[in-house]
Amino acid sequence: MQPSETDADTGPAFRTGYFLRGVAGAFSVPGCVLMATFLGFGGLLHDVGFPIGAGLVSTLLVWALPAQVIMVGGIASGAALPALAVAVCLSGVRLMPMVVALMPLMRGRRPHMWLELIAAHFVAVTMWVEGFRLLPKVPVEGRPSYAIGLGAGLTAASMVATAAGFYLTGSLPGPLAVALLLLTPISFTILLVRNARERVDWLAIGLGSALAPLVANTPGGLDLFWSGVGGGTLAFFIARLWKAERT
Amino acid sequence: MTLFPDEMTAILVVIVVGFLPNEIWRVLGVVLGRGLDENSAWMQWVRAVATALLAAVVARLLLTPSGTLVALPFLLRAGAVAAGVAGFLLIRRSVLAGVLTAEAVLVAGAWWLGVGG
Repeated sequence: MQPSETDADTGPAFRTGYFLRGVAGAFSVPGCVLMATFLGFGGLLHDVGFPIGAGLVSTLLVWALPAQVIMVGGIASGAALPALAVAVCLSGVRLMPMVVALMPLMRGRRPHMWLELIAAHFVAVTMWVEGFRLLPKVPVEGRPSYAIGLGAGLTAASMVATAAGFYLTGSLPGPLAVALLLLTPISFTILLVRNARERVDWLAIGLGSALAPLVANTPGGLDLFWSGVGGGTLAFFIARLWKAERT
Repeated sequence: MTLFPDEMTAILVVIVVGFLPNEIWRVLGVVLGRGLDENSAWMQWVRAVATALLAAVVARLLLTPSGTLVALPFLLRAGAVAAGVAGFLLIRRSVLAGVLTAEAVLVAGAWWLGVGG
């Protein structure tokens, strides 16, 4: 895990060779699973009548499927845009601890704000898992370039998948179109189960999904806000009370 | 169905409603770096809200689905997801195995009911 500290850092901060190796690293099993979920997202775009150009921009710039689904689904159901922005903002919170945890592996020998911001932009679940697996094997001076290459490769593949899903849905036979649309909810559910470690996580999953039908027709399109903030806050306090009672 | 008057408006909405409120957390992650205590009560609350929000998104996708999924009964949609979770837990916690199990249940169910074909 410890990189060699011998050679002095005199080269440029961005190195094309490491960038290209990063791009190649994107084509792995997790990369393929990610592409499959973006196929599903493309299908969702087609289904709700969301323009494909803006959908592709969302894959490139938002680069977080839950936020993208909240935004697209919300717009399709006529939710108020400020309420959607709040819901997207809340869903993105999980990205911050991911960036904080992965950043030490994406930094070169010298701090370089712009490269760090670009590398951080690509941080999402797949990048997080793959970064921890691949980056320790890369020499420190090449890490920022490698991380950006890995992120760019994953993003490019996902944009191709988004477009493919969009154009395939219309022409696929029924059962396959249905399968495409299930990809988003099933991959999110597995993600939730995989990341759930403590009691508070399970409570949040249960309360969030149980509240969703109850607040489904909240005026102003705030239903995600209520089930997210309400369910999460309840889960947080119940878990705290539980802990306090046991000690 | 037209959601936007033109593509540029749609892209602008994506940037303001999707990109900016999401990206701020990544920028904060870079800027705040190590000065952040991941186990503080504040961060625990924030994580619980993010988890509940994602669960609510899944519930909404299953309860009020769009397009072809509407044709399938709710129990089949929810059953397929439950089967996927079981597949994930039983088959070496493999994401791929979970996804494939769910899809197999859904497609078999749709075929058996004669919907979506």
